[in-house]
Amino acid sequence: MSLYNNHTGSRAGKTARNTVIVVLLLLFALATLFPIYFMVISSFGDPVEAGAVSYSIWPGKFTLESYSFFFNYSEYSYRWILNSTIVAGAVTITNVFFATLAGYAFSKLRFRGRGVLFSILLAAMMIPYQVTQVPLYILIVNTFHIENTYSALILPGLVTVYNIFLAKQFMSSIPTEIMESAKVEGCSQLQIFFRIIMPLSKTVMAVIAILTFMESWNTFFWPFLVTNTMDMQTIQVGLKNFRFANTTYFSPMMAGATISAVPMFILFFSLQKYFLEGVTVGAVKG
Amino acid sequence: MAQSAQPVKKRKIKGDGAWGYAFIAVALIVYALFTAYPVISAFLISFQEYKPLGSTYIGFDNYTATFKDDLFWKSIKNTLVYTVLTVPVALLLSFLVAIMILPLRKKLQTVFKAVYYLPVVASGVALSLVWLWIFDPMPGGIFNQFIGWFGAHNQNWLGSSATAMFSLVIMAWLSSHGASIIIYLAALLGIDDSYYEAADLDGASFLQKLWHIVIPSLKPTTLFLLVTAIIGSFQVFQNAYLMTGGGPDHATTMVGLLIFDNAFKYFEFGKAAAQSLILALIIALVSLFQFKFLGKDVDY
Amino acid sequence: MMNKGKALSLMLAATLSVSALTACGGNNNNNGAASPSSPASGSAAASGSADSGAKDTITALLPPVSPTYQDNFDQMEKDFNAKYPNLTLKIEPASWEDMTQKLDTQVNAGSPPDIAFIGSDGISKYVQQGMALDLTDVATPEMTGDYDATPLEYMKNGSGLYGFPAYMEVHALGGNKQFLEEAGIDWKKVQKDGWTYDEFRDAIKKGVVKNGDATSRYGFVFATAGVASKDYLGIMAKSAGMPAAFNKDLKYAYTSKNYLELLTDLRQMIDDGSMPKELSSVDAGKRWNMFLTGQTMITGKGLATFENSAKKNNAKIDAKDGSAVKDSIKVDYIVLPVPTFAGAEPVSSTVVDGYVAFRGKKEPTAEHKANIAKAAYFLSSGKVAATTNNDLFAAHITKSGREAAASMTIDRNPDNVAAVETMLSHAAPARPDIPADLGAKAIKIENEVIVPKMQALLAGEIKPQDMYDAVKKAAIDAFGQDGIVQD
Repeated sequence: MSLYNNHTGSRAGKTARNTVIVVLLLLFALATLFPIYFMVISSFGDPVEAGAVSYSIWPGKFTLESYSFFFNYSEYSYRWILNSTIVAGAVTITNVFFATLAGYAFSKLRFRGRGVLFSILLAAMMIPYQVTQVPLYILIVNTFHIENTYSALILPGLVTVYNIFLAKQFMSSIPTEIMESAKVEGCSQLQIFFRIIMPLSKTVMAVIAILTFMESWNTFFWPFLVTNTMDMQTIQVGLKNFRFANTTYFSPMMAGATISAVPMFILFFSLQKYFLEGVTVGAVKG
Repeated sequence: MAQSAQPVKKRKIKGDGAWGYAFIAVALIVYALFTAYPVISAFLISFQEYKPLGSTYIGFDNYTATFKDDLFWKSIKNTLVYTVLTVPVALLLSFLVAIMILPLRKKLQTVFKAVYYLPVVASGVALSLVWLWIFDPMPGGIFNQFIGWFGAHNQNWLGSSATAMFSLVIMAWLSSHGASIIIYLAALLGIDDSYYEAADLDGASFLQKLWHIVIPSLKPTTLFLLVTAIIGSFQVFQNAYLMTGGGPDHATTMVGLLIFDNAFKYFEFGKAAAQSLILALIIALVSLFQFKFLGKDVDY
Repeated sequence: MMNKGKALSLMLAATLSVSALTACGGNNNNNGAASPSSPASGSAAASGSADSGAKDTITALLPPVSPTYQDNFDQMEKDFNAKYPNLTLKIEPASWEDMTQKLDTQVNAGSPPDIAFIGSDGISKYVQQGMALDLTDVATPEMTGDYDATPLEYMKNGSGLYGFPAYMEVHALGGNKQFLEEAGIDWKKVQKDGWTYDEFRDAIKKGVVKNGDATSRYGFVFATAGVASKDYLGIMAKSAGMPAAFNKDLKYAYTSKNYLELLTDLRQMIDDGSMPKELSSVDAGKRWNMFLTGQTMITGKGLATFENSAKKNNAKIDAKDGSAVKDSIKVDYIVLPVPTFAGAEPVSSTVVDGYVAFRGKKEPTAEHKANIAKAAYFLSSGKVAATTNNDLFAAHITKSGREAAASMTIDRNPDNVAAVETMLSHAAPARPDIPADLGAKAIKIENEVIVPKMQALLAGEIKPQDMYDAVKKAAIDAFGQDGIVQD
């Protein structure tokens, strides 16, 4: 971590530099955090209808009633969170594994058609998803008949091109020699992947995990389309149920949104040591 | 897409072709079923007048109608403006933030990463309500209060053609870098210390190290972020959909929103399919351009 | 990119084989117009053997029609099953905003629910697609005879009956009684006799309260943000001599000079300062907040149920427990009619929503069709309708609903009830004679020209004449010189 010239400046200079940095970061953070801040303080307001929202920057009141309102609104409130956890959890695990696997193959293994196949995968990212929704829906509902199941929610997101692309870009920095020497020592590709590549790729795996979980957790449109009953809906679909024609239960909606942010935060903090320690290639090599 | 285009300098492990296919098998199957099949389906639909009870083939009508449609070109223009105004700025901000977080103590690093990641965490639908308030046209709206301190007049942020696009751009600037900051940080931590050590021996300054070590090392990451951000920006629709609905007078109608409207509001699924394939082609060309010019000296 | 051609062909080959495997999902794409008839007859034969009384499930996609509506789903399912032991009603809930999208996706995929709750103005687009189900031959006289004639008419298109109406609501305005009286407006007379634009303009000018330069109270605020601008214009146009987008001779009406005059008037109210200049960004929640906090004298659109919402807030203010709308004042909600423009007759904008029947890719059996009618009737009459409409303060439109409601009490301002009755007496007539394709073109003009131009007009970016010209041009493109009103 010596991009910064730690040894050249005096101690005071370093402190001054870091103070300036912290101030700048704080200012920017203030701007980006504002909507979240408002979400959280509003969630402690009373569960009254939208007309009720008179926006104020300072919390006028502290009550957890909107939270209980949210959970009392539907007997399925907890179920929505559970469903989201199941779906996002499953999708995260499969993406971390299969994207790393495919990313490794695309960046380090030689096989015929590799470039072409990768190009085909990438091409898919360029098609706006709006247009694939109806054919996909037809496939799930009319062909596979799995609407309103976890399969319908999980399968289309099993592994995404974005994650494969991400994994491939990261793995390109792992020196090929490591794998070659492992091969010389008689490791099979499977062993190389599990014993060498995966430990070296913790950083990118953690990144994939958090991004995938977040994406899946926040997805609204697809779960909305393929679920038919309240007990199969995810938290995002449930949140939308809150909104009525002319009125919105603003505070409970914000309470729901706050609740829905919590699991992602837990995941973030449990994975974040990987971002920090980031078992780097250099560290292993050295 | 780029890899096959560039001369392959790097070494790849040989003789493991079968493993290669095995490793990508699941990805390919998922892709074929849930991406390629719908895309092909959309491709066929783009030559039809789509009706749930039996579509009729109409040749290239959807395409010619699209090319003649002023609204389509306006939406392309809007999308370009939006992309040019948002993507580079957001990327630069992410890079700067990541660089600034780097020298801090571990605890502070954690705090800031969490802080910047937070906005991404909260659901877009819920947060859009907050943004609507920030852009509230009445004097009580946050932005109006803010500019009021400087003596500026009340603005009808989302309601007037002059400011609607700008409002969406501000929103993007302030809410779209959680993921890229994390990816940048992960990449920054991956830079081998020995490079810096060597540079230190040569007495390189901070800026020199930034220029000669960090920026080149981050090129694959930057390329990835740039390509995906531009693709995302070209397909953007949620913010326009939730905040302005494309108005006023189509000032914020992005092509993603237009396609969405055609598909899910007007039932013109054939037209939507044709437009999205044209959009896909544009995106492909732009991405190709980026790989060609930025990916040239990326050392994998 | 040397491999581009190769990549494309490979991709096509790879995925075509996949699409062959799953062809049943995509057969509507491949066969074009030829396909619909054959599977239909096949399936009818297959499942047509069911006797009456055979088990069947009816699916219904329902939004939160009234505040307590979705809470009653379980009870509704149970009651239906008790009435028809062989039938199961399966309700899918959806929010209002998402309802159309979900339904449209299901319709596009060829697998809609049997019943969906939608506005009657949406029927024509589904009819045009061939996905709405005509219930004419399965709706028994006991069913159709239960409804008031006017709302039932709204569920028709051409000669077909595509569902049953739930309620008929009138789009009105809502006034703050205290402010109206302070401004010297005889609201009781207005409720009875209506008002012209000039009278209305005068009245809302008087309602404005200024605090130095800033306006602390407007005379009139209407929700117009986004698609609500369609509402605003549509409601006002009814009383400007254009009760529908087409006149009796099926000529497009929004090219008449009344339309230009209406646009001019709507802009004028903003220029007068009686309406906020930020009107184009005011949404439904915002204007209701403005109404409850005394920032406007009159608001729109007004539905009968708002009287209920205002009452609830008044009770909260009395309770002083902090649960009332912040800074709100007690409000007596007064139903007011929409003013008439350009000397036209008052015509109330009415909205009829109801339970519309759909068919899937396969033609439903006669048995299933009859069951759908039973379910739609069950939902739109008797106890279900009585509870829902009372919750909405909406009038009952079925005999059975009135009977069921007789025992329920409801606290409404009698003046408002009378005002709504008066407006319903000159409700815009249903127009099942407008062909589906004309209707679809009019909706397209509305979405692509009228709504965006209206936003620009309200934001003060274009002149009424500019908007009028744009609409006229689009109308001529769509209907030809002979297809529009020229006066």
